[in-house]
Amino acid sequence: MLSGRDTLYVFQAMATPCEVRLETDDAVVAERVFQAVETETRRIEQKYSRYRPDSVVSRINAAAGSQVEVDSETAMLLDFSAQCHALSRGLFDITSGVLRRIWNFDGSNRLPDQSQIAALTHLIGWRKVTWARPFIALRPGMEIDFGGVAKEYAVDRALAIAGGITKAPLLVNFGGDLCVSGPRRDGSRWKIAIEAVDRSGAMEGLLELSRGAVATSGDARRFLLKDGVRYGHILNPKTGWPIEQAPRSVTVAAGTCLEAGMMSTIAILQGRHAERFLKREGVRAWCIR
Amino acid sequence: MQLKRRPKVRDQLARLSAGLIAATIAAHVEQADAQTYDTQYGQKYNTRNDDFGPGIAYSQLDAAMLVYSEQGGRITAVEPTLELAVHGPKDQILSLGLTADAVSGATPNGAVKTDVLQTFVTPTKTAGSSYSVTGASGGSTIIKVPGQAAIRQYTVAAGLLPMDKGFQDHRGAFNLGYAQPLGWLTQFGGGVGYSMESDYSSITGNVHAAKNFNGNNTTLSLSLNTEYDTSTPFGGVPVPLAVMDGTWKTAKSKTKTQMGLVVGLTQVLTRNWLMQLNYAYDNQDGYQTDPYRILSVVDPSSGEPLRNIYENRPTKRTSQSVFWENKLDFGPTLTDISLRYFKDSWGITSKTAEISERLDLSSSFYIEPSIRWYQQSAANFFRNYLVGGQTLPSYASSDIRLGKFTSITYGAKVGYALSGRTELYVRGGFYSQTGDGHPADAIGQLKNQNLFSGTKAMFAFVGYTWNFH
Amino acid sequence: MNRLTNMPRLAVRLLASAALGIMACGCSTIGPEPWEKDLMAKKAMQVDAYASEKNAADHIYFSKEASSGGRGFAGGGCGCN
Repeated sequence: MLSGRDTLYVFQAMATPCEVRLETDDAVVAERVFQAVETETRRIEQKYSRYRPDSVVSRINAAAGSQVEVDSETAMLLDFSAQCHALSRGLFDITSGVLRRIWNFDGSNRLPDQSQIAALTHLIGWRKVTWARPFIALRPGMEIDFGGVAKEYAVDRALAIAGGITKAPLLVNFGGDLCVSGPRRDGSRWKIAIEAVDRSGAMEGLLELSRGAVATSGDARRFLLKDGVRYGHILNPKTGWPIEQAPRSVTVAAGTCLEAGMMSTIAILQGRHAERFLKREGVRAWCIR
Repeated sequence: MQLKRRPKVRDQLARLSAGLIAATIAAHVEQADAQTYDTQYGQKYNTRNDDFGPGIAYSQLDAAMLVYSEQGGRITAVEPTLELAVHGPKDQILSLGLTADAVSGATPNGAVKTDVLQTFVTPTKTAGSSYSVTGASGGSTIIKVPGQAAIRQYTVAAGLLPMDKGFQDHRGAFNLGYAQPLGWLTQFGGGVGYSMESDYSSITGNVHAAKNFNGNNTTLSLSLNTEYDTSTPFGGVPVPLAVMDGTWKTAKSKTKTQMGLVVGLTQVLTRNWLMQLNYAYDNQDGYQTDPYRILSVVDPSSGEPLRNIYENRPTKRTSQSVFWENKLDFGPTLTDISLRYFKDSWGITSKTAEISERLDLSSSFYIEPSIRWYQQSAANFFRNYLVGGQTLPSYASSDIRLGKFTSITYGAKVGYALSGRTELYVRGGFYSQTGDGHPADAIGQLKNQNLFSGTKAMFAFVGYTWNFH
Repeated sequence: MNRLTNMPRLAVRLLASAALGIMACGCSTIGPEPWEKDLMAKKAMQVDAYASEKNAADHIYFSKEASSGGRGFAGGGCGCN
């Protein structure tokens, strides 16, 4: 029986099961790859996690008003975030995390009132951040958070590092944000089983990928429902309110996981024009409403 | 006024993200961090490859057992089966199946139920022959007439449906098939099969081809099949419509050839609706009579049985059927509805409707109740009995399988996925045939008998599927 | 500039991009897109799933009734008809 033999490694990080699948029979190489990927993923998670007081992000947020010197990796991520802010015309904004304090998407009908939102608007906006490489200064009370890029960044980094160790076909999948190194050994596509957004575990789908990445934005489980109107959890940083008529989830296939992830995020931020945006851009994507 | 083509967000994003990764790799950012990070979540879980599906080479083994039992001391059967399917990485499939069958019990011999004791005779083992005796038990006696071969005789009490007890048979069968993509065909393959029991053997062969269209939403398939059967009944092949006796008949065996084709269309209509439509044409040529079955010839006024004669069925039979199945996934439930319409040259038309509803109670456990309704008309040569004094028809049979009846099957299935690789399922059912046992033209004492000889049965099926690499 | 003379040029441009758009999206297929076929991957939605069980049930019906066939090919292979 030929091919089809994958060596699989799964570890828990970034609040999801992280899967690394290598098409090889060489256990030594596989072990090296798995160790390198896990080490790198934990490094990124701990460096950019807002839950750890010693992370770079926490240090920047705690500096409140004064400037912080950042390393080259953080500088590159900040540049990338700034460029995405421009590309998305301000809808993608890494300073919008403060809205978390008043929005709690638990399926209830408790919406924050306008005064609460108004109180936060002066704390949101990338333009209010002073970013002059390598120094970053936030206004007091502001926060940045890389939650929107960290997982996709980790996937692409994992793939690049593993590619430096072995040429064996590889698939990295961190909770649905995934990337493959190329087709399988016999030229066939990777078959990926997907769980649908609505039901946990019950439904499965099949995705065939020979190169590139797939990433998904959105989560149907987090929402608020009041007076028959459903408020999805994607917030518009400009207004402080959820994006109107956003799809429940947008999945994009692209060359890298960062590209797929950012495209799906920008698409979902288009609200009811999400499909139109994706079609105009000519991306392979699908929306679930 | 000019329409300017704005640079796509996608292109810029592609450039930016590729650039970011390349830059971080070049800068060896993973080494720049002085801190070492702890790996407190070192737990590995599930490193086994649980991939089964297209493009992966795997094998599937299906072991199953069917147990079937009819009411009234009639037929019971046990049938274990084993199916192995080996899937290659490029959609090749090699399949091997083995079946064994053990059937025993009593089967109606074709005579009518009457208000008098009836006696029947059949051949028995003759000295020097290699045929084994069937039915020597079960209330029959061997009669030796000097100067003639021994015969077997059994009696049936008044008011009972005449049945030949002590019926026993074993069957073994295997089938082998191979299919793979070929040229522009999505699948092309063939298979052979062989089945043997003590008085019947069958060789089958088939070829089939299929092509997918429409982004794999549509599949067209064509299959041709042929079968060559040899019937070697115990006691030899009786002369059609001759009087039943215990002599060993001269004709030893008879054959039958079958050829058929099936054209199929499978279509995924929507995200939750799959449909299959099949048209089948079948032609059978040769011996199709049941060599053990008889019909009663009754008195034209009293209805009392005068004699028993062997049945006779035409040697040609063509049939056509249309089968339509729909599978609909509504989320928590999955509905399967199928309809079949069948019509043949013996005058039989039938309609079948079946619905099953699968309910996933958890991600590994489901139940599936089902109902099947079936109705068939009688063959044009079907007779409950023949009337003495009238000219014999060319063909006649009292086999209720060719008669007019309705059947209902109530079924329930329970399945449990023991792991991602194995499933155990149990299916039980109750099958019941109903028909008119009091036809308007019943003669004499037969008016008081229930002439319907259909069956009621229970069956259980246990299956175990195991996927492995 | 005279708006009337520009209109035809604008119309031609719009028609050209619309035509290209239609061609670029590909021919229409009946049925869902590949990414909408998640449910079809379920075992219960496969046409050939549980074949042993279906064959056993068909064997019972075929032995007790006059009709045959439907799913696969007609014919019995055993002496039960």
